[in-house]
Amino acid sequence: MTLRAPSAGAGAGRNWALLALLALASLAMAAPLLWTLLLSLKSNGDLLRSTRSAFSPPYTLQNYSDILGHSAVFGWLLNSTIVSLAVTLGVLALSSLAGYGFARLRFPGRAVLFIVLLFGLAIPEQSVIIARHQMFSALNLHNTYRGLILPGLAAPFGVFLMTQYFRATPRELEEAATLDGASRFKIFWRILLPLSLPAQATLGIFTFLSTWNDYWWPLISATDSDMYTLTVGVASSQMNFAQTNGLGYLMAQAVFASAPILIVYVIFQRYIVAGVSRAAT
Amino acid sequence: MIRWLLGPAVVAAALVAVTGCKPASRGPVQITLQRFFGACDAEFGSSTDVPAAEGECGIITTLINKFNADNPDIRVKVNIVYWPGYDQLSAELAAGHPPDLVTMHESVISDYSQRHLIMPLDAVLASVGVDPAGFTRAAREGVTRDGSVYALPFDTWAPLWHVNLNLMRAAGLVRDGAPVLPHSAEELLQQARQFTRATGKPYLIQSIVNDPAASARNLFTCLMQQNSDFFADPRRIRLQTPEARRVLQLFKQIRDEGLTTRDQDYTAATAAFLNGQGGVYIVGTWMIGTYEQASLQTGSPLAGGYTVVPFPQLYSGRDVTYADGHSWVIPTAKRSAQKTAAIARLLRFLRDNDFQWSRTGHLPAYQDVIDSARWRALPHRTEVARLVDTAAPLPAGVQRQFTIQQIISEEMESAITGQKPIDSALADAERRVNDLLFNLL
Repeated sequence: MTLRAPSAGAGAGRNWALLALLALASLAMAAPLLWTLLLSLKSNGDLLRSTRSAFSPPYTLQNYSDILGHSAVFGWLLNSTIVSLAVTLGVLALSSLAGYGFARLRFPGRAVLFIVLLFGLAIPEQSVIIARHQMFSALNLHNTYRGLILPGLAAPFGVFLMTQYFRATPRELEEAATLDGASRFKIFWRILLPLSLPAQATLGIFTFLSTWNDYWWPLISATDSDMYTLTVGVASSQMNFAQTNGLGYLMAQAVFASAPILIVYVIFQRYIVAGVSRAAT
Repeated sequence: MIRWLLGPAVVAAALVAVTGCKPASRGPVQITLQRFFGACDAEFGSSTDVPAAEGECGIITTLINKFNADNPDIRVKVNIVYWPGYDQLSAELAAGHPPDLVTMHESVISDYSQRHLIMPLDAVLASVGVDPAGFTRAAREGVTRDGSVYALPFDTWAPLWHVNLNLMRAAGLVRDGAPVLPHSAEELLQQARQFTRATGKPYLIQSIVNDPAASARNLFTCLMQQNSDFFADPRRIRLQTPEARRVLQLFKQIRDEGLTTRDQDYTAATAAFLNGQGGVYIVGTWMIGTYEQASLQTGSPLAGGYTVVPFPQLYSGRDVTYADGHSWVIPTAKRSAQKTAAIARLLRFLRDNDFQWSRTGHLPAYQDVIDSARWRALPHRTEVARLVDTAAPLPAGVQRQFTIQQIISEEMESAITGQKPIDSALADAERRVNDLLFNLL
């Protein structure tokens, strides 16, 4: 049997085939988003008759104009931004400190505490929501920023991620700093924290995205429309049977609510991709 | 160090003192009104021109704007919630901070009244001269529990037969400008076959996929028409009966013979009727305006050929249609007499403007509006007016009606589409509903 090296032509052909396959897959992934965008540019009346009308003019920005004409929408946007940023910063600070503690400090009950923390990863939010709601009622925290932010700060995944990251950091770096007279906090602040920036970026982005998209807790905690986040606010402004009588408006809401997330994605794309591949390994 | 700590502490204490001890406000009394029906601020956010407003959202928005403008001593703050908003209401009640006035389906009132989470309104309504004797019979039944009125009714709605007269005419099912409708299940099948033979289209358009209520409403109506006492005990349903079996057999046969559209959800069915894909669409009062508009447009399959009628009497028992309604309730909470009086004034205002609300297509909740010439002058209102006498809710004590409708619709869909034998579907529906009701707190 004779082995023959693949010719340049065959290699190029395979590349093109692969490219076409990837393009097709990308199109399949992007299709729902493009469909949403297309529907958002049509009038509700046209779409009520048939969604096929989305493929032909006239197109309109009326749905977006209606959203922006809603006086409360910018307040909801602000609420979502405040809550998402506060939760993200809080999770980064607490997870880094706790992760460092679990990875590097020796204290009684550390192993047990870490196992308890890991249980937190396995307990679904649904199972604690009533108890949490009652607790926040007793503390009079509903319809406040604190009420929206505090539950998000309990992030076992963040602590776990940072613990694993700090554990993987060479101890020699700390030992060298200790020899130079650096305090425990200084070692954490000046050496380990800067080294953990990739993990922090991953954790920060995922925390921001999940907080921004959160619907359930804001729905039952922020019941005053002044405190709605964007997800709850846009849902509340839908008329009954919105999927039928107001499809264009519904889709414009979806585009509007996801626009800030898309901006975050574009800005931090590099970190998100790196974060996903890191999480996969 | 102490000075460093004291500085912010003094500032914080001062802030707390300033915000915590501000004098009692002498401004308008604030009422928080929580409702669904969506938001339409862009179009009606500042309008007080109620007669010019259209649709549920437009009319309720302008009504509240007008009330605020006419009553400077009261400020109504509106909390709009995603339909139907009961998760939020329950959360607010659990937190001890419910709104002052809430939209509620009459079928849901029992869930709250039996736990004393909403107030009886007899005294509140009497204080502003709203007499329940003026409610229509359907509305009165819908809001009364154990002899007390728990809500101000706003409307009554029921499944109607929306009819494409153009297609019915082609099938020879129009006489003197009115559709020829069936008076029995057999006649329904016969007319449906005649329609399909003549037009090549299905007689019925039905939303049967993922519809949480449509099939259940049909079943309730047909059971009531056979005088079946399927909820003799409000905590126990009886569905393994010849009457229920008869209804499911009818709808299954309609499907098996190709006399109905298949596999359509609510959106598809709504569009199908608009596009002339069938003769009759069974859906609620809220679609009258949309289809009436379409009938005025040249080129529309409904052009000059749309009408709407109550659910025909298909069984010999009695002429009745299952109905529900929107209403206003006051959640139980401590309120000042001043605030309660303000809420009462708003209720009176809503009652006085029930005609405006009835322009949505829903049936008025007040007999004087039904009897008024201006209501009867609205499109198709004379055709549906007899619903006032034939509309009937489920027995008042039945709780969890939304979930019950969902369970029954799921099981009916299984039977009609042939995924389950009819007897199994009825047995499963009965068991699931009774499990739900048995486990109520």
